[in-house]
Amino acid sequence: MIKKLKIIGTPVPKHDAAIRVSGRAIYGHDIVLPGMLHGAILRTEHPSAIIEFIDVSEAKKLSGVICIITADDADVNNIGYKRDHPILKKGEANCTRDEIAAVAAETKEIARKALNLIKVKYKIRKGIYETSEALKESAPQINKFSSGKFENKNIAEKFHYEHGNIEEEKKKSAHIISRKFTLPRMTHACMASSNITASFNNIDKKLLLYSSTQVPFLYQRDMAHALKMNPSDIRVIQPVIGGGFGSKLDMHPFEPICALLSIKTGRPVQLIYSREEEFIASPIRQPMEIELTAGVDKKGNFTFREINIVKDNGAYTSWGATTPFVIMQAFSSLYKIKACRFNSTAVYTNNVFAGSFRGYGNPQATFALERVIDLLADELGMDKAEIRLLNANEKGEATGQGLHYETCGHKECLETVIKKSNYKQHAAHNRQSGRFLHGTGLASMLHVGGGAKIYRSDGCGTILKIDPYGYCTIITGSNEIGQGSETVLAMIASEELGIELKKIKVINTDTDIKPWDVGVHASRTSFVAGNSLLGAIKILKVKLNKKAAELLKTNHSNFDYSDNKIISLKSNDSIALDKVVREMHFSEPNELAIADYFYEPSSKFQDKNFKGNVSGTYAFASQAVEVEVDTYTGNVRVLNVYVAQDVGRVLNPLLLDGQIEGGVVQGIGYALTEELLMKEGKILNPNFHNYKMLTAADVPDIHFFPVETIDKEGPYGAKGVGEASLIPTAAAIANAVCNALDVEILELPITPEKVLAAIAGKKKLKTEKI
Amino acid sequence: MNFEIINPGTTKELLAAVKKFQKENFRFGAGCTDFLMELKKNPSEGLTVINLSQVKDAQFNGLKKSVKGLRMGAMLTAHKIVMNEEIKNKYPVLHNAAESLASTQIRQVATVGGNMCTASPSGDIACALASLQADCELLSTTGKIRNVNINSFFAGLRKTVLKKNEILYGISIPANIKSTKNIFSNFIKVGTRRSMECSVVSLAYHIQTDSNGIIIKAGAAIGASAPTIRFAATACDFLIGKKFKNITQKEKEEFAEKVLSYASPITDIRATAGYRKEVLFNISKSIFE
Ligand SMILES: Cc1cc2nc3c(=O)[nH]c(=O)nc-3n(C[C@H](O)[C@H](O)[C@H](O)COP(=O)(O)OP(=O)(O)OC[C@H]3O[C@@H](n4cnc5c(N)ncnc54)[C@H](O)[C@@H]3O)c2cc1C
Repeated sequence: MIKKLKIIGTPVPKHDAAIRVSGRAIYGHDIVLPGMLHGAILRTEHPSAIIEFIDVSEAKKLSGVICIITADDADVNNIGYKRDHPILKKGEANCTRDEIAAVAAETKEIARKALNLIKVKYKIRKGIYETSEALKESAPQINKFSSGKFENKNIAEKFHYEHGNIEEEKKKSAHIISRKFTLPRMTHACMASSNITASFNNIDKKLLLYSSTQVPFLYQRDMAHALKMNPSDIRVIQPVIGGGFGSKLDMHPFEPICALLSIKTGRPVQLIYSREEEFIASPIRQPMEIELTAGVDKKGNFTFREINIVKDNGAYTSWGATTPFVIMQAFSSLYKIKACRFNSTAVYTNNVFAGSFRGYGNPQATFALERVIDLLADELGMDKAEIRLLNANEKGEATGQGLHYETCGHKECLETVIKKSNYKQHAAHNRQSGRFLHGTGLASMLHVGGGAKIYRSDGCGTILKIDPYGYCTIITGSNEIGQGSETVLAMIASEELGIELKKIKVINTDTDIKPWDVGVHASRTSFVAGNSLLGAIKILKVKLNKKAAELLKTNHSNFDYSDNKIISLKSNDSIALDKVVREMHFSEPNELAIADYFYEPSSKFQDKNFKGNVSGTYAFASQAVEVEVDTYTGNVRVLNVYVAQDVGRVLNPLLLDGQIEGGVVQGIGYALTEELLMKEGKILNPNFHNYKMLTAADVPDIHFFPVETIDKEGPYGAKGVGEASLIPTAAAIANAVCNALDVEILELPITPEKVLAAIAGKKKLKTEKI
Repeated sequence: MNFEIINPGTTKELLAAVKKFQKENFRFGAGCTDFLMELKKNPSEGLTVINLSQVKDAQFNGLKKSVKGLRMGAMLTAHKIVMNEEIKNKYPVLHNAAESLASTQIRQVATVGGNMCTASPSGDIACALASLQADCELLSTTGKIRNVNINSFFAGLRKTVLKKNEILYGISIPANIKSTKNIFSNFIKVGTRRSMECSVVSLAYHIQTDSNGIIIKAGAAIGASAPTIRFAATACDFLIGKKFKNITQKEKEEFAEKVLSYASPITDIRATAGYRKEVLFNISKSIFE
């Protein structure tokens, strides 16, 4: 039995909220170092071209220009997940983002002016912007650094997975549905644009980076590889980060470029993206085509899924190429499924390359999967809620891929949203006419909830200290990127040590100080860093208990920690915590009140067939969405979103609401409005004017119902929550629109134009039939 | 880029400044919400900006009611239009258009004059004013005022009939007809977002009916459907004498066709021409539904 909790589960505001809203937070953009120069990058004018020459002589003459570098000046290694990405391009440009040269100058204005003075002669080539073109025999090799280990020169990465007997299951199927879905490019649009400040010390040859990375320790290693340095000679400090969402999982070329400018000049250099640059040169969600064939037996049990995915990799390979790890989980293990065969291919093109993005492929997969479930239900004449409930995952299940659901709130999530949204009633009364048509849609999702072992360790270290004044410092490997992990960690320490929140400090921004952690991603931080902190607390308490027992003249260690005191549960005698710490320090045994702990989740690295229990626990969620479609304009308005999510345990309802609402709104954008439009490799809408990110006025009512399954692996039973809320939203919206209009939607975003086309298509179909 | 700024405090000083810079590269800045974006895109060397926002005269930035109607100074902000009860009650089309513009923050500084002089086909306030058949006062450095009907004010895409020595000083909208009993007046803005959205297609209408429900005056203008905002005259004429509530399906469609005849939309990143036409037709019909 867990004792009654005092802080955990309460709506503690984010501890940095006041600092942020009052403008005191120090972002990378606010950093000013003595002697600092400003960097700027010249990008290619053409997405595919031979670079015949680069002439920087005029630019160098400009007063205030200190240094200009091109590929010829840089003795560096390629970067990227496949090491196929040169940080400065030599000989050819393959993508509109390509970095041709970089300038360091006394002011930003001079740096920009210098860019205009650099002369580059291009020989324009016909680029390749479709994956189908890239796969043709006649196509040239787009990335000359590609591994070349696949059957086609333009394949960057492939994944194959299967379980069960597909052919057998096909025979058992009463209905089989096959569809091809197309998913767009979406960009993170972080409020703080990408930034870095690099300071190389000529004397000790050490490099200090103020960087917004989400994964400082992997970044340190990647940077060292790029610059041919020792990782530990690179110190990474993270200023306040204005938005991550996965965009900062990869190290991008501008970062080692900025470091190089600092190394060359011996002065600090700062590089900050303009908003336009942010749209053009930061990563995106993978565009892909998903062919899904799925079957169902006559009772409504799902039989098999067969998936073929072609992803547009863009010109270089990032972490984004590994999204099939997550995508295949959704297909193999969301709802009970007897057989699954999965193939995905990432294909080089001259388009912008994708990176990682909240959900990591899962929103794409879930869209296809949940759309097809509706179609299967229609074929069977079965209720769309019933078919989902029948096939929902269950506690204790071990899926075909080897995921173990020790706890599982899938069914409860479904039941909750079906009931709260009045789903069945809405769906039944759907014969409507007139201009505005209403529809409801359902979708679920499965995501890792206890980290994801895709690196050798999925662990996190903590160093915990209590000082002689009774204040506590948590030095954690994990990072804060706005999600509130500092607050949750402080709450855990407060709960366990009985120290009030204002006496707890979280130190988490400096690789020279903090212990190792793999980074913020996979919704892992509260789970992994929380468990790591609990481990350290347990060790520290052994020391504290010993001293407290001595001071309270008792020989048991049955203590309660509250109100900054250690209280004997037997006698009710108590002693102030700070006093215990002072006695530890200043008298025998003269030791510090410090403990450290490294937590490694119980998850397993998957085998070469991608089988194994990859996460410490799994999160489930269902959403029901009500939409109103204006058949005059094609506009879809989301009226209500019902969210039920298996969060394990609610650690902080306020922060949880923030994650849910933010995720849902991002999901609505993905469903309806957000798309980075490209033509022949160029981005057509690099601004908020035409990249339609939603505003506060567009946010519908979001009704959230947490489902608590108390997973024994999680801190207090909690699971990861960060990505889940975004994942099923687009699928549920698409299902709702199809329900309203009786049409099929195979593509996101569902723009007004596509809605009108779908309605027109349907009318045409009907008249043809008559 | 760098530019000089001049800050006249009165109309007199303003006219003097305009006169002084006749031979130079100068521009007016009102709320600067269009102007700054334009400068960022196309920087202009040796530019002087005559800042209109410090001119204190009520004639230039206030609002005045008279028997003839309502007169707005060119510097009246979108926010002030939204807050005005008279406009809200008597000219809902203008209220709604101003309220649909950008966001609360932008509306604090964006002016009616700026919306007109930018001459964008998707100017929302300008479209509403076109449906109201507003009259524009162009003040020249000689101190003379030239009156131009709004439908002659726009000379083409982002072009007006303003001469280099003129500024738009005020805009008047005629009073509703005395015998008017009911007003059907609205601004229909089609776009993706509910705020911070530029019209993909828009329709402004202001229709007055008498005590029998008969249409006695009608104004309708279209935005983002042609190089300029356009007044749909034949569509308006078509309505006169008809009973608003009794408009038949066929008449609705005829009206919509007539509105559509003024449209010559383009395909751009925000929508195709085909979409714009289809939607304009649909929303024109919707007035009577
Ligand atoms: C984020 C954003 C969203 C927007 N959304 C909308 C929208 O929803 N709907 C919409 O219609 N517009 C929108 N706009 C455009 C703009 O805000 C409006 O057109 C606004 O009314 C312009 O007014 P202003 O006072 O800022 O004009 P300014 O930018 O100061 O001036 C615009 C032009 O008019 C000239 N000018 C200004 N006043 C006069 C005058 N009295 N005499 C002669 N010339 C003059 C200037 O020289 C300049 O060329 C948006 C702009 C932004 C930045």
